Amino acid sequence: MALPIPRTGLATMLKDGARHFHGLEEAVYRNINACKELSVVTRSAYGPNGMNKMVINHLEKLFVTKDTGTVIKELEVEHPAAKMMVMATQMMEQEVGDGTNFVMVLSGALISNAEELLKMGLSPSEVAEGYELACEKALTILPDLVCHTLSDLRSKEEVVRALRTSLASKQYGHEDFLASLLADACISILPEDPRSFNVDNVRVAKILGSGVLATTVMNGMVFKRVVEGTIDRATDAKIAVYSCPFDSTATETKGTVLLKTASELKTFSKGEEDLIERQVNALSELGVKVVVSGGKVGEMALHFLNQYKIMVVRLLSKFDLRRLCRAVGATALPKMVPPSQEEMGHCDVVEVQEIGGTNVILFTQKAGDSRIATIVVRGSTDNIMDDIERTVDDGINTFKCLTKDGRFVPGAGATEIELARQLASYGETCPGMEQYAIKKFAESLEALPRALAENSGVKAMEVVSKLYTSHQAGDQNSGFDIEGEGAAVKDVAAAGIWDLYLAKMWGLKLATNAAATVLRVDQIIMAKAAGGPKPQDNPVVRDDE
Amino acid sequence: RPLFCASVLDHVTLHVAQLAEIKQQTTSSELSAFCCLFVRCCKTKRPLVMQAPIILLKEGTDTSQGKPQIISNINACEVVVDAVSSTLGPRGLDKLIVDGHGKTTISNDGATIMKLLDIVHPAAKTLVDISLSQDAEVGDGTTSVVLLAGEILKCCKTFVEDNVHPQILVRGLRKVALLSIARIKEIAVHVKREDVKEMDDLLKKCAATALSSKVIARQKDFFSQMVVDAVRHLDELLPLNMIGIKKVKGGSLEESRLIDGVGFKKTFSYAGFEMQRKKYTQPKIALLNIELELKAEKENAELRIDNVEEYQKVVDAEWAILYDKLEKIVDSGAKVVLSKLPIGDVATQYFADRDVFCAGRVPDDDLRRTIQACGGAIQTSVSSLSDTVLGTCQLFQEEQIGGDRFNIFTGCPEAKTCTIILRGGAEQFIEETERSLHDAIMIVRRTIKNDAIVAGGGAIEMELSKYLRDYSKTVAGKEQLIIAAVAEAMEVIPRQLCDNAGFDSMNILNRLRQKHAEGGKWFGVDIMNEDVADNFDACVWEPAMVKINAITGATEAAALILSVDETIKNPKSGANDPPPALPGRGRGRPM
Repeated sequence: MALPIPRTGLATMLKDGARHFHGLEEAVYRNINACKELSVVTRSAYGPNGMNKMVINHLEKLFVTKDTGTVIKELEVEHPAAKMMVMATQMMEQEVGDGTNFVMVLSGALISNAEELLKMGLSPSEVAEGYELACEKALTILPDLVCHTLSDLRSKEEVVRALRTSLASKQYGHEDFLASLLADACISILPEDPRSFNVDNVRVAKILGSGVLATTVMNGMVFKRVVEGTIDRATDAKIAVYSCPFDSTATETKGTVLLKTASELKTFSKGEEDLIERQVNALSELGVKVVVSGGKVGEMALHFLNQYKIMVVRLLSKFDLRRLCRAVGATALPKMVPPSQEEMGHCDVVEVQEIGGTNVILFTQKAGDSRIATIVVRGSTDNIMDDIERTVDDGINTFKCLTKDGRFVPGAGATEIELARQLASYGETCPGMEQYAIKKFAESLEALPRALAENSGVKAMEVVSKLYTSHQAGDQNSGFDIEGEGAAVKDVAAAGIWDLYLAKMWGLKLATNAAATVLRVDQIIMAKAAGGPKPQDNPVVRDDE
Repeated sequence: RPLFCASVLDHVTLHVAQLAEIKQQTTSSELSAFCCLFVRCCKTKRPLVMQAPIILLKEGTDTSQGKPQIISNINACEVVVDAVSSTLGPRGLDKLIVDGHGKTTISNDGATIMKLLDIVHPAAKTLVDISLSQDAEVGDGTTSVVLLAGEILKCCKTFVEDNVHPQILVRGLRKVALLSIARIKEIAVHVKREDVKEMDDLLKKCAATALSSKVIARQKDFFSQMVVDAVRHLDELLPLNMIGIKKVKGGSLEESRLIDGVGFKKTFSYAGFEMQRKKYTQPKIALLNIELELKAEKENAELRIDNVEEYQKVVDAEWAILYDKLEKIVDSGAKVVLSKLPIGDVATQYFADRDVFCAGRVPDDDLRRTIQACGGAIQTSVSSLSDTVLGTCQLFQEEQIGGDRFNIFTGCPEAKTCTIILRGGAEQFIEETERSLHDAIMIVRRTIKNDAIVAGGGAIEMELSKYLRDYSKTVAGKEQLIIAAVAEAMEVIPRQLCDNAGFDSMNILNRLRQKHAEGGKWFGVDIMNEDVADNFDACVWEPAMVKINAITGATEAAALILSVDETIKNPKSGANDPPPALPGRGRGRPM
């Protein structure tokens, strides 16, 4: 009986349930709004004074963090356009490992500023082109802003200063402490060729209890396990690593032992026992003091290992096993054979220790010897430790970037304002419609110092105008002083607030890309979700109260 | 729009006759509103011109942001704190908790209560975490840490309401933590570790303070001595699991005893067991991981026999293997045989005939403790039983304790372990006693490692409060207010102690403040006399580490909760929730 509404356009060609939006009103503005909303979520987490977010993901796991990468990942953003921004931050995470919020805030600002331009009558593609032009220009300006270059990757003092800023934006108040720990860890495992620095070689072990300031660095590895046997300490130990279970070998093929006579029955288990004893004895004769196994350690084998005073550690994770091999310089043996001299690893001290009620096995090397360093994170709740872990990860990634490029630009909004200032004047030299877009790009860059100021409870307008004044006066290193009273500015380069050049470069590129992509979309077609919606023929019962 | 609605409505009237009247009465704008309403009620199509909302996140995702979020988190925490605050101190009351399985627990231990409360609120969960962390790190002070965190949050709430930026609060809190810890370290009293007698005295007092707030407060002298003795038995690593605690129902608390060695309940035994001797002096002890029973040697072995004689031989061989094992054990000279695996009746009788005691299915940790006490090693094979792998002790005997029989080894040469046998009336009561002893043991262990002590009974908190208040006057800016506020928050511990004891907390706190202002840094609440007293002289001592960890934990948790301004909750996946409804149909076309 329904009045037939004529079906027209694309909808007739699509399957039932597919949705599509097109045109400025329906697609572009809606996309812009979605992106705006998303950037608002993370905006308040930007900078040292940013606030944490509590995210409960679909598995009911609680995250307390202001690491945008994590927040975005756990948010499960559904909107297709907003997803573009999410992908941009993920790219950033992979490329630099830090600065994800920079991408988020900047692309959010670019997109929402574009809305004004579109309402003025520019076409989306003109805006997108203008943005890209501005971005190119910004990238040519950026090298001139470099205020510091890291000279020596092995100097702790230098590295601490370099890591501070990145850490301060995550754990404000602990940055000096963490920076010094991280510097120790990173430098101690820095290979001959800094370029082959592996992020995976700095491990994090979280142990509940005490406080963040009790966090320490260890040369070697830490496992939250206890030993299998009775020996719980070995010094100057040779280590044999097996990736297979340490037990009498069973055949893969299912087989039955066939006994024919009573005497065979009698000698059967004796033979097996001897076999294992021979193997353990061989290890003992080689001087092996610690056996690490990736699988189960058989009762009989354990018996003999105890007898020969060999410490036994069982690791459940294949990755842990591989890392341990790297740390002690061993080769994992896939078969129960005695290792050759080269296949054996060496570790100065292997011992069981109790840290805050948790028993851990420590593989410690003398300073300078280890290829793996572990940061033992302490904290009074799991959430704090998780957050510290993420901060540490960001810090290590920052160090990795340093091995590629040691250049820094001033932080605290100084670079952004300088770029904005120069871009604005550049924009005026452009004759076409892109002029507007370039100017908006410059304006969007203000969003970062603005967010910093807002998060610190300071009037953003005042800060931005003060920054412009001092930049106009030629002080290109002047940034927002987060510790000052009210809208204060200071020379941030001198104060040691430096951002990675690489992070800024990638951030600008990715944010512009994301914004341009979102703007260029004028039509959204969504296929019906697999499975489809539940038939809604049963009206909601509302009269149950 | 109204026009269109009218047309829809027109259409709808065919179904619902009453609408025709309303339609005529209403103006067009009302009409449109009504139309929308009607349309929604009837679950027909949505109004065509209405734009579908922008769906950013998964349907069912719950977000909340801003200042109200912080306040609501703080409120949630306060509720949790209320639940445990009345357990603090010697006059604190216990909680009876019935969990989901109907199991009843009576406890005074903050960590236990928090764990059983099963809190789901994400912010309040943080308090559970710090309580557990305190439990792991020092073992006691689990209620104080929660109370402290709650009070700090309460003090900060007014600032948040007054629009102070939370990060400034967080910075202030971190500073307070550093200041307080420095102050505790400064005034803590160190005891000479070398002087064993003095050290023991100190340990006993710390244990007594820990126990005074527990269910066994009346027997605290008895138990504190026991705890110190127990911990003194351990080696330098002080492994907690080397103190076995066995619970036997019945009898009175004072009948609890410390066994200088190992004791465990009689295990399941077979016929012949009662014929065995139950008392040996200086026996050799064999610790085995062998099943002493007639059984297949290997699961995947198979016998093929082609004549009858061979069959009998095989049967004999199986017996021979078992007898061979038994013979080797007896030949080794062992008088006591303990095995992780069952010892069958053949073996039991064999041993009984040869004057050997045996016990099968001994729990693993008991066996490990026996090794620590008596020496020796667990053997998985009998082929190499020698004196080096056999343990020994002065006296082994079976004893009747309450309704249970215990195997007890005393006078052990290694003696790196001991066993506490707890007696008491109800099951819950013994459980709670065990938890209390655990706290006391942990306190003693920590004090041995770290010998600085402070006075308890709210004395150290009052001193910190005074110190922070004085300090706050020397700083300019908002930090002054925050430090002063935390100074006040510190007073919650003595206040709660008084409240729980039914004292006039105002009165006592005022007198405490006065004493501390005069420089009496160890003045705290005297629970016994409803008065203030120098608690250092009164021997109410606590390890400094407990307080340091409590303050660290409380401030870290408070800082964490204050720094969260947004909660985003994704719908739980997996459960049979309906697939997310499709929001609107593109351009409002019918499906």
